[in-house]
Amino acid sequence: MNDKTIYLDYAASTPVDPRVWERMREVAERTCANPSSVHAAGRLTHEIIAQAAAQLGTLLNADPATLIWTSGATESDNLAIAGGARHRAHRGRHIVTMKTEHKAVTDVFERLGKEGFDVTWVEPGNHGVLDPAAFETALRDDTQLASIMLVNNETGVVQDIKALGGICRERDILFHVDAAQAAGKVHIDLAALPVDLMSVTAHKLYGPKGIGALYIADRPGCHVEPLLFGGGQQRRIRPGTLPMELIAGFGMTAAIAAARIDDDLAHIRDMRRILWDGIRGVDGILLNGDPGGFPGILNVSADGVEGESLLLALEPLLVATGSACNSKSQAPSYVLRALGRTDMQAQSAIRFSVGRPTTAAEVEFAAQHYVKAVARLRGLAPEVAA
Amino acid sequence: MSTDPYSTRTRELFAHPAHAGLLERGPVVYADAQDVRLQLSAEAAGGVLEAMRFQAWGCPHVIAAAEAACAELEGRPVADLLEFAVSGLMANLAVPVEKTGRILVLEEAVRSLGRRFRDEA
Repeated sequence: MNDKTIYLDYAASTPVDPRVWERMREVAERTCANPSSVHAAGRLTHEIIAQAAAQLGTLLNADPATLIWTSGATESDNLAIAGGARHRAHRGRHIVTMKTEHKAVTDVFERLGKEGFDVTWVEPGNHGVLDPAAFETALRDDTQLASIMLVNNETGVVQDIKALGGICRERDILFHVDAAQAAGKVHIDLAALPVDLMSVTAHKLYGPKGIGALYIADRPGCHVEPLLFGGGQQRRIRPGTLPMELIAGFGMTAAIAAARIDDDLAHIRDMRRILWDGIRGVDGILLNGDPGGFPGILNVSADGVEGESLLLALEPLLVATGSACNSKSQAPSYVLRALGRTDMQAQSAIRFSVGRPTTAAEVEFAAQHYVKAVARLRGLAPEVAA
Repeated sequence: MSTDPYSTRTRELFAHPAHAGLLERGPVVYADAQDVRLQLSAEAAGGVLEAMRFQAWGCPHVIAAAEAACAELEGRPVADLLEFAVSGLMANLAVPVEKTGRILVLEEAVRSLGRRFRDEA
């Protein structure tokens, strides 16, 4: 990023809070010891990690002992889904997820499908929200695991994980939730939610990249097989020397989020409202997702506009597009296609995501710039394509 | 090595397409293939292309290439349309090889425009 750009891609990643950097530097200067070492320095590292677990546990209202450190949400999703399904394979091989999940989830299900698991892909309902009744219909006597994300990374759609988890709990089905976009941004109370496994990550929450966690509920039958082998760390579920600095940073990230979650939510609601008010008048504009979804994400399509050109025309805005949008592929977003958007509508989609540092001036400029860019590209297009 | 998918020239032409539009006289051709929708129009006098315009729905390389082609062809003999090739233009704009198919839509549209001139002569 430089001074001329406007970053509106907070769903992709976020800047690290200076207090998090400071915490990481501070612990790195205090000790370099391996937390598995029994000497004093090792015990200090162990304590630093325990403090971070307590901070993350407070944010999620979970016992710190239920948290497993990972390299990020992708690893957490893999460990939860592949590890959970394999752990229960002797009981049944049917697993369930949604078509609109993140690739870190869908790719694991596809992999498990090749291993002989039977996968059911549930369709979202109106605006991308999963109807609990439709979800229940997909479950079978041999279903052992289901995975549904809390906040969709492309559209901001929020799923009713309380209802969905309740259905799973009644049937003793492992219920995994990808909360990469949600943790620290919306209130999560794992002590009250019927969730068995939850993936979270730091870098979506003003923390460092390379550190995440998997919550594994402390209840009978809730377990995952490890993906990695090589040591006794973290109850052998995820062995390997723990990256103390990253973990301490995640802990500070969680503590900051816990202290300001309501202020953050109020702020991004305001930013989204200004942005949407500024562009909603564009002819043929479509809001992709649920109007009542997570306010940090605003995904819109505009008829008659090509996505890659729109992305370039929107510079200096740094936003995400609804297609793979690189020179090798322009495949429209499978998430938006699952919401019923046409290829052209999905291809023209732009995801704006606002965050803590976003200012009203930035989103006002973004809205004006979007309106102008759409008008310019529509003016360039042959009438037959508009 | 730059990770920018667009060359400086592509960015300039995309941002300022001086030949965007539709001419009122002369033949018009339309192409729709390879994620490209392209309309070309041209006016000629005395066998020379006096003006050429495009309308395009496509990626930035397509828009830049259409602008470059119009600029390049204006002032040249109408017969040159039939021989138009995009290889030099692709090199000048540093169009990624995987987008060759899209730029070939432009080549075919220009040649089609040349055939329209020839057939109407």
